[in-house]
Amino acid sequence: MEIESARLIAKGLATLSMFGSALGEGYLIGKALEAIGRNPDQTGSIFSKMIIGVALAESTAIYAFVAFFLI
Amino acid sequence: MLNFEREISDIGPEAVAFIGNFKIVNSTLMIVLILIIFLLVYFLIVRKFKEQPDNTQSFMEILYENIALFIDQITGSRSKTEKILPIIATLFIFLGFSNLIGLIPGLTSITVGDVPLFRSPTADFNLTFTLALGAVIAIQVVSFKQNGLLGYLGQYFKVKHVYRSFRKGLQEGFTSLIDFGIGLLDIVGELAKVLSLSLRLFGNIYAGEVLAVILIGSLAWVVPAAWTTMNVLVGIIQALVFGSLVAAYYTLSTSTNEG
Repeated sequence: MEIESARLIAKGLATLSMFGSALGEGYLIGKALEAIGRNPDQTGSIFSKMIIGVALAESTAIYAFVAFFLI
Repeated sequence: MLNFEREISDIGPEAVAFIGNFKIVNSTLMIVLILIIFLLVYFLIVRKFKEQPDNTQSFMEILYENIALFIDQITGSRSKTEKILPIIATLFIFLGFSNLIGLIPGLTSITVGDVPLFRSPTADFNLTFTLALGAVIAIQVVSFKQNGLLGYLGQYFKVKHVYRSFRKGLQEGFTSLIDFGIGLLDIVGELAKVLSLSLRLFGNIYAGEVLAVILIGSLAWVVPAAWTTMNVLVGIIQALVFGSLVAAYYTLSTSTNEG
């Protein structure tokens, strides 16, 4: 196998790991919506904390993105 | 010589000028531009603060108070917030500016030769790594000053904890060996903090830039506009996340008092 084709296959494999971050973020947003449903007064506070949590859970997908450009 | 073309930028920044053997890169020029903007705001607006605020001063006071309230939620008490407020507020505002300034249309397309003249500072891994490393080292120094040398090392090598548990009984002794292993893994955790902070910020902004170039090159108007709007949101959120994570690490390291 030539090195160029191996490199392209590695690039494709690096993007497979973004699947996990989608699962995690979906779970997080679901829990936040449940909390809003139980306590609608706190919507603003819960929503802003959820946004920060989503940014943190997105981190591993961003690492995979950077690795994609590095390869 | 000054044209407006655009290609996908490399992972590393490109050199624009040379002083002897030292190369000046295009993100440095952008950092100097941001600092000039900050200095202009200081000399034109902040120097003229009065007792009775007018509109601009009220806006800045609202900004300051909201940042202080936000950090209050992380540290828990006003006195702790006052200690770290200068650093965290600087991180917020500087990172917010550098993330957003790359989205001004046309600013990053000015090329000299075939190298762009400006580049978002946070799309340069050197800047994010330096900020993250500096923050983590500062937190270590604060923890060292508070606990002394033996207390600081005792956070990672929990010899005292193991010794005391073995004196209580054999069973507790063996379960405390697990705590010893966790203490050793905390050393790796510090390195992971540096890498995760820097890579998260760099990856978000650089990937946003690259995708913007790809989308503008291949689609017409609506999708690139939507993507640039989302990049505004992402820029503000990532600056918030960086600052609040540094504040959270600081709170964690100054409040662990065992026994």
